[in-house]
Amino acid sequence: MLKLLRIEWMKLKHYRTFWILSALYLISIVGLNFIVFYVQQRIFEEKQSKGLAELVIGNRPYSFPTVWQMTSYVSGFLLFLPGLLMIIFITNEYSFKTHRQNIIDGWSRKEFISVKLVLALIIAFASTLIVIITAMIFGFQLENSFSLDKFEHVGYFFIQALSYGLVSVIIAVVVRRGGLAIGIYFMYAVVLENVLSKVMNHWLNDTGRFLPLQSTDELIPLPVFERMQRQIIGAPNYPVLFVVVTLYLVAYLVFIQRKFLRSDL
Amino acid sequence: MNKVSLEVPEGCVFGILGPNGSGKTTMLGIVTDVLKATSGSFRWFDEEPQAAHRRKIGTLLETPNFYHYLSGERNLRIAAEIKGHGRDQIPDVLKRVNLWDRRHSKFSTYSLGMKQRLALASCLLGDPSVLVFDEPTNGLDPVGIAETRDLIKRLAKEGKTIILASHLLDEVEKVCSHVAILQKGKLIAAGHVDQVLANEDIAEVGAENLAKLESVLRSTNGWSSIKTEGNVVQLFYPVGTARLESINEHCFKNGVILNHLQLKKKSLEVKFFELTQSANTK
Repeated sequence: MLKLLRIEWMKLKHYRTFWILSALYLISIVGLNFIVFYVQQRIFEEKQSKGLAELVIGNRPYSFPTVWQMTSYVSGFLLFLPGLLMIIFITNEYSFKTHRQNIIDGWSRKEFISVKLVLALIIAFASTLIVIITAMIFGFQLENSFSLDKFEHVGYFFIQALSYGLVSVIIAVVVRRGGLAIGIYFMYAVVLENVLSKVMNHWLNDTGRFLPLQSTDELIPLPVFERMQRQIIGAPNYPVLFVVVTLYLVAYLVFIQRKFLRSDL
Repeated sequence: MNKVSLEVPEGCVFGILGPNGSGKTTMLGIVTDVLKATSGSFRWFDEEPQAAHRRKIGTLLETPNFYHYLSGERNLRIAAEIKGHGRDQIPDVLKRVNLWDRRHSKFSTYSLGMKQRLALASCLLGDPSVLVFDEPTNGLDPVGIAETRDLIKRLAKEGKTIILASHLLDEVEKVCSHVAILQKGKLIAAGHVDQVLANEDIAEVGAENLAKLESVLRSTNGWSSIKTEGNVVQLFYPVGTARLESINEHCFKNGVILNHLQLKKKSLEVKFFELTQSANTK
């Protein structure tokens, strides 16, 4: 696998779009969290609202231990970026027909698709690492002492990142054409699923939360106003949610492999 | 593809000939595992096919497929890495196809001919014993075409097995020892080039009285068929056996004065047309 990854790295190393998007992603995670952090500081430091904020919100979200959950929650909104990167990288292979050439030159189909899946794993892992570092940067700004309580949300973020990554791989290998794949991905991940989820939650007994991407989003609720959130929609049944999320991930992997192993390239 | 079955002997230059859309690329796609056949099987080196075989085969399938944003040299590094070879052969193959000076340029800046030559260079990596070329002279200028054919001939001389798909008849005739002809996914002929694409000589003879001329000509020997076409009579002979002097002499002796006498080579296109036509009517 290391040998395969080295070849993927040769493809990416001199690809400018990869570096630009990666930099953008990194800046966005830190930047978006900084904006929310800044708003939090303003609210808590205003004399009049200070007491009120502490009464309603409780601890500052960016203080330990909620910082793990808060950073994961906020960063989750940016997961479309690594998905975009993944789609571009894979559909490039289709448009350059290098997916054929790699096979012709001696990779097996399994090798080709496995290394892409491992890449999705690595990107999810790297995203998680960035979130951990970001959380620590902001957490240490505030007086609460370091704590690993609620660190499980960082793990949930990893699952969420993996889920977004694999969904983008699915769209890439099914649609094959870059522009269309990106369009469909954005329409679904950013708009369609959210609408569908709200509709299903409203009319179909809260089932909207079990949609592919929504189910991983549900793992990390906003750590503020939780009681109010629960009045709008009850807490999910977490064991069931975990089962659903796992099933989705397994289904993605099986589908991607079968699709690539069996179809014409 | 429909019930195509053929074997490529080791060390030959095997041409696959057929009009556009006859299934040449499809067939090569199946044996390189980029296309899935609904049924049937194939073998490489007398073994069940596997990815490792393809590392020992240099293949150019349809179009040059490379990363547009990488230089020619970096693209070859990826190919070499996949094939499991070091980079040491890259300068050599780049020089062989005259791309050494442009090795640092991005693939996207290459002309069609340069792209094609880079693909040929990639095929040569690792000195494979089998080469598969699908329309290798596509997009090349006349010099490039001549060079490529030269390269293929040299590779054949080195004892490599070459599978060459082409819709260009003279290309196949010039470089191949064996040929298979495909049409609409069916195999309509296969074997040695001289057998499959056996040519005929045509003697065109003209005189005032065509009817008399034809009856006189019928009494000569050696021809395989005869017919009147317009204001000439055509006699068909196996390659190299038409003798114009004896025709002239024979006619003169029998009281027919010729006003037209010409030896024509039957073109490959006609032969090919005949082969594909007869397959159509079957």
